[in-house]
Amino acid sequence: MMSRLAAAASRPAEISFEVDGRILSAPQGEPLATALAAAGLLQLRHSPRNGAPRGAFCFMGVCQECAIHVDGVLRQACMTPVADGMVVELRGVP
Amino acid sequence: MSGECDLIVIGAGPAGANAALVARQHGLRVVLIDEQPDAGGQVWRAPWPGLARDANAPEARDGDALRARLGASAVDCRFGRRVWSVTSGYRVDALGPDGNEAVCAPLLIAATGAHERVVPFPGWTLPGVIGLAAATVLLKSHLVLPGERVVVAGCGPLLAAVAAGIVKAGGEVVAIVDLAGPAEWLKAFPAMASRPRLLARGMGWALKLASKRVPVHFRYGIAAAEGEGQLERVRLVPVDEHGAPCAEPTLTLTSDALCIGHGLVPGAEITRLFRARHLYQPLRGGWVPELDGFGRTSVPGLLAIGDGAGLKGAAPAEIGGRIAGLAAAHDAGRLARDAFEQAAAPLLKQRENLAAFADASAGMMALRPAQVAAISPETIICRCEDVPRAEIDAAFAAGARDVNQLKHFTRCGMGPCQGRMCGDVAAQLLAAQVGSREAVGYWTGRPPLRPVGFEALIGSFSYDDIPIPKPAPL
Amino acid sequence: MSHIHDLGVIGGGVHGATVALFAARGGMDVALFERGPLCREASGVNAGTLTMQMTRVALIPYALEAHAMWASAGDWLGHDVGVVVCDGLSLAFTPAEAELLTFRAGKRREAGAPIEIVSGARAKEIEPGLSGQALIAGHCKVDGFANAYLTGLAFRAALIEAGVSLHENCPVAGVEREDGAFAIRTSQGVKRVRRIVLAGGVWIEPMLAWLGISLPIKTLINQLSVSERIAPVMRTVVGIANGLLSLKQYPHGTVVIGGGWQAVGDRERGGVELLPERLIGNMRLACHAIPALRQARMARAWAGLEAETRDALPAVGPLPGIADAYVCGSVHSGYTSGPYIARLLAEHILDREPAMPLFPIDRLLAPEGAGTTA
Ligand SMILES: Cc1cc2nc3c(=O)[nH]c(=O)nc-3n(C[C@H](O)[C@H](O)[C@H](O)COP(=O)(O)OP(=O)(O)OC[C@H]3O[C@@H](n4cnc5c(N)ncnc54)[C@H](O)[C@@H]3O)c2cc1C
Ligand SMILES: Cc1cc2nc3c(=O)[nH]c(=O)nc-3n(C[C@H](O)[C@H](O)[C@H](O)COP(=O)(O)OP(=O)(O)OC[C@H]3O[C@@H](n4cnc5c(N)ncnc54)[C@H](O)[C@@H]3O)c2cc1C
Ligand code: FES
Repeated sequence: MMSRLAAAASRPAEISFEVDGRILSAPQGEPLATALAAAGLLQLRHSPRNGAPRGAFCFMGVCQECAIHVDGVLRQACMTPVADGMVVELRGVP
Repeated sequence: MSGECDLIVIGAGPAGANAALVARQHGLRVVLIDEQPDAGGQVWRAPWPGLARDANAPEARDGDALRARLGASAVDCRFGRRVWSVTSGYRVDALGPDGNEAVCAPLLIAATGAHERVVPFPGWTLPGVIGLAAATVLLKSHLVLPGERVVVAGCGPLLAAVAAGIVKAGGEVVAIVDLAGPAEWLKAFPAMASRPRLLARGMGWALKLASKRVPVHFRYGIAAAEGEGQLERVRLVPVDEHGAPCAEPTLTLTSDALCIGHGLVPGAEITRLFRARHLYQPLRGGWVPELDGFGRTSVPGLLAIGDGAGLKGAAPAEIGGRIAGLAAAHDAGRLARDAFEQAAAPLLKQRENLAAFADASAGMMALRPAQVAAISPETIICRCEDVPRAEIDAAFAAGARDVNQLKHFTRCGMGPCQGRMCGDVAAQLLAAQVGSREAVGYWTGRPPLRPVGFEALIGSFSYDDIPIPKPAPL
Repeated sequence: MSHIHDLGVIGGGVHGATVALFAARGGMDVALFERGPLCREASGVNAGTLTMQMTRVALIPYALEAHAMWASAGDWLGHDVGVVVCDGLSLAFTPAEAELLTFRAGKRREAGAPIEIVSGARAKEIEPGLSGQALIAGHCKVDGFANAYLTGLAFRAALIEAGVSLHENCPVAGVEREDGAFAIRTSQGVKRVRRIVLAGGVWIEPMLAWLGISLPIKTLINQLSVSERIAPVMRTVVGIANGLLSLKQYPHGTVVIGGGWQAVGDRERGGVELLPERLIGNMRLACHAIPALRQARMARAWAGLEAETRDALPAVGPLPGIADAYVCGSVHSGYTSGPYIARLLAEHILDREPAMPLFPIDRLLAPEGAGTTA
């Protein structure tokens, strides 16, 4: 059976990565946006003018709502596989 | 990937992959590029490398077969590469694991597929609200469920597919909220019945959903998505036969995931970049390149196929790909006219047989102007730039008459999604005041085709090697 | 007979729009004809830099006045074009560039631009975002930028308020002299005007040909790119000694990268193609100056058309031998200087003495090589 987002327990935790100082784990190869959502982190950034919460929307590389800093560089979380030791920051794009 | 070849195909979905295979069979040297880690496109998307999979789903079977054929062929597959620039010649620049790579060929096939249309409503920007097509990606490729209690909403065949996919995977669908009514489905039914296998699958979905007693709300839309920081509630509202709300919101559902979509929009960015002639065709999803029967655009050497050239669905995309592969072989001088026509004839016939089905499902996913007209002034249209509808109306009042001027006046479409999420709806809002979609036009195509990181693009370099042009006059 | 306007302006870029605005405010009945929407060619797609360090020496006195106009756009234009006044730095990374910079800054200083040469270390104090690789820099306090895509919105409102009769999406096909007036053939019929200003940007060459004047205008196809919004990485306008970089971050966070790298195109088709190698080259230069840019992504690139005369000085003034006809354009860094120079022409048309000389085209009409100067 597939796991639900926000029910991370059922997924194998093969690698670990860091999000704003928190250590999370995820299966090897899982897209970062999915790994974050599974850890309950749906909110990835704030919108530029209104400061409203935003999260992954299209999961196919189009909407750019999942653009976050991965090892210091802006990347689309839905197109980026999680990797061991990855450092993720949700400091956002102003 | 540097160097020369006879044909470059961008996009390895059913359309592009089949075009590449056929052209290769006729002796062309073919480079096939896609930004996904593997071929399959949206519909036959492969699970991410390393994730456990269910190989029995029909899409997985079709996709695996395609990937096997590509693997056994001499098509030069370049996956995990994002095409950001296409210039005449044709030269294609793609950003991959080793930085920027360029490849050149006299023929180019654009097979870049479609992206989702979501007609905005209050709260559609809340985390937890995702696209309907996005849900298919989660189910097929990321192998997870969108949430604990999922509302599936919007219109078209993807509604049932997503809901059934969630149920099958053991998830809970709180409700299906369909803009259409049973009458519209019945109207589409005879055409749908022209493809028994797909109809059977649709029936299968229906039975699966019925057995789980998933409530279906026909002729309902989403009035609002609400929650603190992320989705908690979804409010439903009855809609009329045009998709516009026709009463006060009636129902509130507790939910942590709303999957919503109102059809697809062709990703015609490459043909726009080359200023090929385009036509506005609502049934095909919007602005599409004008094509001859074989996929050739008005620009010599440039072909466009699949959903990116007009929505028809996976099977016609596959056949259209094969036809364009033949056309490319013919244009490259590898296939004589007679042989070309002979090989294309049965494919053209096959595609014609699929037309009724394609039109019926595309019809259910076409933009509903009345739904757009009913968007409230404060609802965000452009997610990237937080532009509400009121500012689009104000731009019209200030003199904006085409979408590119609208963009200058409001920043609508200037963000990193490059107008993909808002473009169709913003153009429709302006068109309703100006008079027609033709009059307001479409965003000018420009590179990069998708945003690309400076770091990856510029790589390491020494200052002296930058080809700085000669100084401007003093 | 149809209504005759005092003045007809053809071309609605920053030059045409400014002439029309000040002529109307001076009491004339003005009509403006623009082929597309207002300010959507060079004047709406340019980099918006308002700098002395890229301005031609002969134009510095004009550019200083123009900078003051932009800085107070709220007063005379009345609508926001997002002007930011800030420091400007022109960098030299190599000894050869340092020499070029010192020479060029010296010439511009002589012409009145308050440019000071500072050390690389001082430059980094002024702009903490710099990489620190600059040997020296030209520092000018009169610098800044506007948000060019707002130009049309702002001028449109101002022109309507000033009573200009505005014809957008109205291409002009030709102009004829007729009974002491001009007949302008437009897509909306023939309009009659007593005086005429040709302000067609790179298209002043075909416009002048309507009146039998042959003035070759070179078309530059300038490339620009922009990042998505990012956290602040810089606070000044940054360029390099030879003028081939212009870089600044807008208050909303995007960084615009320019400097006049050339794209593919022409007057007939516009800027049709951006060459990947040049985009990458321009970007490398930008990241060499401001390393934090490396974190960002490019959201879009485009190209626009800029006009250049044989001597790269403006074509602004009366047309020789044709009474009541004027040309206005081909001003280098014309977004910066345009409003001031076009206002001077409006003064001239209103029979007032302009505060500085115009740039009549007689000098350019003499046979090539005849040695005339401005
Ligand atoms: C998210 C989504 C889910 C869908 N789910 C279903 C479904 O379950 N069932 C169904 O019948 N239909 C579905 N559809 C419709 C179906 O995708 C299409 O009918 C079919 O896939 C069209 O094939 P295609 O080859 O034209 O495009 P696609 O399959 O979309 O393939 C296009 C490919 O081009 C690549 N690409 C695009 N731009 C670039 C670039 N700049 N650089 C490199 N690569 C690029 C993409 O990565 C993609 O792999 C879905 C559509 C979408 C958008
Ligand atoms: C990419 C780029 C970057 C630049 N960056 C800077 C910068 O940072 N700082 C700076 O100071 N300058 C810059 N410039 C220069 C500056 O933009 C131009 O000098 C200035 O905008 C020119 O204004 P204009 O009114 O002469 O021409 P345009 O703005 O081109 O206006 C001419 C108008 O005439 C219209 N027209 C043409 N033919 C007809 C016809 N037949 N009928 C009716 N209308 C017609 C056109 O549609 C056009 O709107 C840049 C230029 C470009 C292209
Ligand atoms: S979720 Fe849309 S780009 Fe990643």
